[in-house]
Amino acid sequence: MKTIILMILGIVIAPILGGLIAGIDRRVTARLQSRFGPPILQPFYDVAKLFGKDKVVSNFWQVFCSWVYLIAAALSVALLFGQTDLLLVFFVQAIGAVFLVMGGLSTPSPYSQVGAQRELIQVLTYEPLIILVFASIFMVTGSFRIDEILAYKQPLLIQLPLMFVVLGYALTIKLRKSPFDFSTSHHGHQEIVKGVLTEFSGPYLGIIEIAHWYETIFILGICALFWHTSLVGVILLLVSTYFAELIIDNTMARMTWRWMLKYVWSIGLAMSFVNLIWLYAG
Amino acid sequence: MLPMMLVIAILLPLVAAIGCYFLRVSAIRTLIVLATGVCVAAVSLALLGQGSFTYSPGTIVGISWDSLVTLADFALLFVMLYYAFKLKNQLIKVFVILQIIPLALFELFVIDHAVETPAIFADSLSLIMVAVISVIGSLICFFAIPYMKEHEEHLHLVKSKQPQFFFFLVLFLGAMNGLVLSNNILWLYFFFEVTTFCSFMLIGHDQNQIAVKNATRALWMNALGGVAFVFGMIWAYVETGSLDLQVIIHSGPMGGLMLAPLGLLCLAGFTKAAQVPFQSWLLGAMVAPTPVSALLHSSTMVKAGVYIVLRLAPAYAGTFLSQGIALCGAFTFLACAAIAVSQSNGKKILAYSTISNLGLIICCAGLNTKWSITAAIILIIFHAASKALLFLCVGTIEHGIGSRDLEDMHGLYLKMPRTAVITIIGVLTMLLPPFGVLLGKWMAIESASGNMFVITMLALGSAVSLVFWARWAGILLTAPLRDKVPAESQSILTKLTLTVLAGIAVVLSLFSPMIYTRLIEPMVGKTFEITAGVFASPMGVFAVYPIFIILAGAFIYSWIETKKSANAKTSQSYMCGANVKETGVQSFIGPMNTPVAVKASNYYMKEFFGEEKLTLWVNFIALALIVLMLGGAL
Repeated sequence: MKTIILMILGIVIAPILGGLIAGIDRRVTARLQSRFGPPILQPFYDVAKLFGKDKVVSNFWQVFCSWVYLIAAALSVALLFGQTDLLLVFFVQAIGAVFLVMGGLSTPSPYSQVGAQRELIQVLTYEPLIILVFASIFMVTGSFRIDEILAYKQPLLIQLPLMFVVLGYALTIKLRKSPFDFSTSHHGHQEIVKGVLTEFSGPYLGIIEIAHWYETIFILGICALFWHTSLVGVILLLVSTYFAELIIDNTMARMTWRWMLKYVWSIGLAMSFVNLIWLYAG
Repeated sequence: MLPMMLVIAILLPLVAAIGCYFLRVSAIRTLIVLATGVCVAAVSLALLGQGSFTYSPGTIVGISWDSLVTLADFALLFVMLYYAFKLKNQLIKVFVILQIIPLALFELFVIDHAVETPAIFADSLSLIMVAVISVIGSLICFFAIPYMKEHEEHLHLVKSKQPQFFFFLVLFLGAMNGLVLSNNILWLYFFFEVTTFCSFMLIGHDQNQIAVKNATRALWMNALGGVAFVFGMIWAYVETGSLDLQVIIHSGPMGGLMLAPLGLLCLAGFTKAAQVPFQSWLLGAMVAPTPVSALLHSSTMVKAGVYIVLRLAPAYAGTFLSQGIALCGAFTFLACAAIAVSQSNGKKILAYSTISNLGLIICCAGLNTKWSITAAIILIIFHAASKALLFLCVGTIEHGIGSRDLEDMHGLYLKMPRTAVITIIGVLTMLLPPFGVLLGKWMAIESASGNMFVITMLALGSAVSLVFWARWAGILLTAPLRDKVPAESQSILTKLTLTVLAGIAVVLSLFSPMIYTRLIEPMVGKTFEITAGVFASPMGVFAVYPIFIILAGAFIYSWIETKKSANAKTSQSYMCGANVKETGVQSFIGPMNTPVAVKASNYYMKEFFGEEKLTLWVNFIALALIVLMLGGAL
């Protein structure tokens, strides 16, 4: 019963929190660039406006894919809040990722096609790292179950500092921020227009936006596991991590996918190995 | 009752095969194949319901079955030798002679023929294998009936070669059933060789230059496996004094010298399962007609390889050999998934992904915990269903559009909506929860989490395979699409097999908790509590039913929304405002004011994952790992 309540809570709260974070993100980014920026509620106004627009599609599978993307993202957050299994949650999240790519590939627009291929490379880059992060959590706590992990007495950050940095790479990629924002270029007017999202418009773009909010909460929720022992710790960790993301986003130029794949895999694997060897030695 | 069922499972396909060969009328052949398939499949399910047993067939008209098998074995080896001379291939000659001479010496001077060895032993693993072989294999044979007719029409053959084709196809099922039911290791060896020979004949079926070349390669590689098997078998007999597989597996604590024969037997399994560096024969098998590829890749042949490694798992538990096997398997999983990314040939992608998944199964056998063995069995079952489906889909697509290249499948939904959707279903069942393949992968990754090297390779391999699957599913839909697509016509048997296989691939996942509690748990031991279709252990949870139900709801709801969007406006693709304004035309105004058609293709990332680039290194590392595995065993 408790699980179901937590899951429903997750489904309801996550998009609200995700939208607010997006709003704060825009505001802080603006300040970093000496602008004022939009009101914090602007992402909600944007999505509301999208839902008011005419429905326009070029391939009806787009509609299907955007809905499945949203539902899978919501389900993964629900499973995370319901304290099930880390890997399971991640695989459910992958359903969303796959359907977003399929939606992008379903129209023959070159921007959408290239964006979808790049999105796949992003998934290729972050997925092994996240699995390794989960495996390392398993090595420390002896379980993939979130309820068991929450019962662990120490913050994981103490034993897995480098794995947290590795997770940070995955977070940057998943949030589609520079230097890794090449599948949808989250600032408009760039080389591939809006990448995988180019052909989605109106309510369907709105759906994808909400799904993205869910994903933001999903990945921040996993970050929160690293300091689960105190609420202050969680907030401190998340605020500083997200702020670091913003700084990186604003100071880095976008790189190519070749660079990303080589760089993130090599650095990520090296750091994982170092951290895991510590664990074994200790 | 039991002897009758065994006769149907093992001998009926042989009789039917002979029938297919001599009764050269297509209607009779169709009838024979259909009837045999239905009987074998029904019997396999009945056997599954009955549970484990041991059985000795005794004698037939005064001759023991053991000596008949021995006789057949030598006959088969000499047939192979004949082909070695016919093909003028030195390797095959050497490998076949290296089997004949030791085997003859073994039979004549070493074996104590007075000792009675139960020939047949079946536990859940064997029975699951029989069910997989008989149900999926039969469906593939059904599919072959209309397929081969079209195939021969394409080739404009004067004299049909179908009798020979169906002879080996149907015989294969019987041989596989025999292989997984054998307890006498000599019987196991005999059936092992029969599958080698059948695959050789089937791969070379079209008899053109490339088919012969690839068939030859398949024969020498598998004959090498046969050599490893013979030496492993003799060595194991010397150590344990028994031909009884169960005795060999359970003959006390394994250490030192006993590991070497086990290592050799596993090596034989590796060649059969096409693990790197032996992958090339299975890739070459693509040249054969599609039903052959489907059969080899899903329910037979390669599954014989993983079966042997898995069967022997209790014998080498906790040894260095076991770790070596886990490393080899994990490496194959990663290497082949990576190479698959760079491929645009649909069948080749499937072939690499098969080898990759077999690597995962072998890795699970090597990890050798209750958890990982469960994972291996789950993977065997569900991989067979999904992979058979995907191969048959590629075969259908190839007959439909004349190509098996991914780039030609852009927008297949417009031309072959039915096949396209079924292909996408097949792809999703390989990739996403709550389907069985992913359930197996989940168990595999969780059980590998203590081993740093294995988990890293599994994590990378799992990510890489997502790329080629998702890409494939996506491009089948690529099209400007608003109106209803005209329905696609398929012959009854094609439609039936594809639909049934798709149904199995999807619906069987719903039964995975039941498969676990009824079949796997009694054999392997308890690892999971199952409540309301949720696998739970202190280390992890996987909610099959809840996710299945929610996702089914999600798909239905999304489809309703999609239907509702029918009156939405149609847009042209965005092309920086330079679209050619005609409706239904996908082009933009290019230089000199001329229309340029839009063309997009996949990223194959050849500079990272190219076949030419990786294969040499992959083979080198794999060879080193095998040396490590066997060396460590010695």
